[in-house]
Amino acid sequence: MSLQAKDLYAALMHELKNNLGLLTLAMERIPRQTADEENQPLDEARLMCRNVVERLRQSLLLYKATEHGLPIAIDAYSPHEFVAGMRDEALSLTHGRVSVETSVEADVPPIWFFDRNLVDIALNNAIHNSLTYARERIVIRAEMVDGMLAFSVIDDSPGYPAHILEAQSGDETDFGSGGTGLGLELSHMIAESHKNKGRSGELRLANVPGAAFTLLLP
Amino acid sequence: MTLQSIRNKDQQIDYGSLKTLVVDDIPGMRSAVKMTLSNFGITRTDVAGSAQEAMNRVANTSYDLILCDYNLGDGRDGQQLLEELRHRNLITLKTVYIMVTAEALYEKVAATAELAPDDYMLKPFNAEVLRNRLDAILLKKMAFAEVYDKFGKGDLEGAVVGCDKLIQNKPRYLIDALRFKGELLMAMGRFAEGEALYRQVIDLRAVPWARLGLARALHAQGKEETAEETLIDVLDTHPEMVAAYDLLSEVRIARKDMQGAQQALAKGATISGITVRRQKMLGDLAYENGDLATAQDAYQAALRKGRHSIFVNHTDYSNLCRVQIEQGQPNAALDTLKLAKDTLKATPEGQLVTAVIQTLAHTKSGQTEAAKRALDEASRLRSDGAHGDGRLMLELAGAYMANGRQEEGDAIVGEVARNAHDSDSLLNKAKEIYASCGREQAGEELLKTATAEVRQLNNEGVVLAQKGDFDGATQCLLTAARDAPYNPRVLMNAAWVLLRSIDKNGLDEDRLRDARRLLDDVEHLAPSHNRLPGLRSQLREIEARFGIRRSSSK
Repeated sequence: MSLQAKDLYAALMHELKNNLGLLTLAMERIPRQTADEENQPLDEARLMCRNVVERLRQSLLLYKATEHGLPIAIDAYSPHEFVAGMRDEALSLTHGRVSVETSVEADVPPIWFFDRNLVDIALNNAIHNSLTYARERIVIRAEMVDGMLAFSVIDDSPGYPAHILEAQSGDETDFGSGGTGLGLELSHMIAESHKNKGRSGELRLANVPGAAFTLLLP
Repeated sequence: MTLQSIRNKDQQIDYGSLKTLVVDDIPGMRSAVKMTLSNFGITRTDVAGSAQEAMNRVANTSYDLILCDYNLGDGRDGQQLLEELRHRNLITLKTVYIMVTAEALYEKVAATAELAPDDYMLKPFNAEVLRNRLDAILLKKMAFAEVYDKFGKGDLEGAVVGCDKLIQNKPRYLIDALRFKGELLMAMGRFAEGEALYRQVIDLRAVPWARLGLARALHAQGKEETAEETLIDVLDTHPEMVAAYDLLSEVRIARKDMQGAQQALAKGATISGITVRRQKMLGDLAYENGDLATAQDAYQAALRKGRHSIFVNHTDYSNLCRVQIEQGQPNAALDTLKLAKDTLKATPEGQLVTAVIQTLAHTKSGQTEAAKRALDEASRLRSDGAHGDGRLMLELAGAYMANGRQEEGDAIVGEVARNAHDSDSLLNKAKEIYASCGREQAGEELLKTATAEVRQLNNEGVVLAQKGDFDGATQCLLTAARDAPYNPRVLMNAAWVLLRSIDKNGLDEDRLRDARRLLDDVEHLAPSHNRLPGLRSQLREIEARFGIRRSSSK
């Protein structure tokens, strides 16, 4: 792509993303109907809308990453507040269709250093995935694992397909080019971009038996 | 403890009572945000479509929360608005200021911000995210209420104590409290403690702001080499951190590496040319280095960016005009004056700039009569007490001498030299003026006498004070301050001795008043001088000890 076309492309993506943002806000203001069946199409549309916004955030981040490397801005944040924020977002997406549980283990310190925006993109992706596949519930959890802060999103779906679980053990991760694959690839990059005292962050995927997505931050 | 219970326990935030301002240049965005806020009970919301409108609203109404888009479209952005609001004391630390920005801009906006907002919201955001962020910020403001209160009253000591309490008792706010305490220590001139604090934070995690803070503390203590290393190090991992280039430039100036200083500043300006101050500094450095083209671009950018802001004054116009004239474009200089006519007419200082620049420009283009008229106008303004910066005054002196009015020229050079006895660049410039009219000898002597008087009074005063003769010292230094009323170093020495004498001999209302006035003058002349914060704290400490309430800071 020529330089000009590339700028144009980025500008267009932004415009799209902002319009979608406005659309999302507008949809949130539509009053809830009394009958549940009347709400269902609206909820689906809301979820879809947010999904598209998340995808656009991801692709913009990828675009930036290929241009200048993943930009990272670490500061101190409260894991408790972060999990609460994730829960509220998930709740606003499910409207009771799926239950959202949270837990923050006692040994999680009051503050931890990470890039809030990047971790938000990674976890949001996991939440959107889980909400799509979960039967009844998802769990958002913060705990300490190997001296790192671990944020997990766990659902009661049939779990990740085998090729995705295999992909993470190879040297070169390749989660496939589908929507889930793109999000996981990005989460993997986000995990690795967190470095502290010689350690890098990790992305761990497992079936427990539902899908468990865990981001470890040193 | 589950999260639900945390939320319930803290749910004391009464959103209905918050007075809110939403600033965005896009009407659809304004109403969408306003509606979103009303969803969680914030109903007292005003909107503004431009920085100017926001400024007017904030001047008339006190807001608890300002939600401002970064792009405002009227030549100013949300960061500039924040800086002006703080600068003019229209908002305090208790006001929540949230910057809304597009994702792609975020790193840039955050890295270039010298004054950080309470938080950034990346577009698009939804109601839950905003609600959660607001909860967190408001809870933090509650925890910091005492600290902000003391800070607002000028009781920095008390604010430090408040931070220490938070550091000990509120692990959630450990880093926030350390960060604020670091800024307090620096503002109080307690640089060694600042250094220790930033090293402590870096031990926890080498976050960029702590590394920048460390470099600032090192620079303030004259540890320039380590400061430079620290900055180069942080810029290696965070090349977008513009404040680090600014500081690097200052460090290099201190190391007399003027080329390196200009390079650092220019690099910062390519990343973010938005700050008026940065462009002004770049202009000054490039001018010192003889790089007139860069100087002209930088001064022009500063004026373009700052035309409607409070950060631009008459000196910026004279700086640009000077470069234009030296580049052989006297007509461009006259055009600059024309464009700025209204601003310059408003003050005697501005009028003096106009008169002196007109003199130089007309002389350059051979309009002798017009030049004479302008010089007469400058004389009239000067006899009415108008004063300009050192460079402008030397130019005026040069014009007098070129017109055979040696005595008036000498008088001005003497005045500039007394006020700038420690500035090589101005003294050299003065020598050039004398050389150009073949009076090297006379110039040499005049400069020697003028600088010697002040230097002698100044040194004598300091020695007397060290011997404990505060009356003698006060006399010397107040005389020096009268002779050199624009020399920050002399004024600060005078203030220092006055405060010492009160400290030792008890309250003397006159001396306290003098000290206060001197420091106010320095605030005006050299607001970022390293010694100023320390002297300000001493003054506050003495005022507190003798139970004197400050009659509001300005």
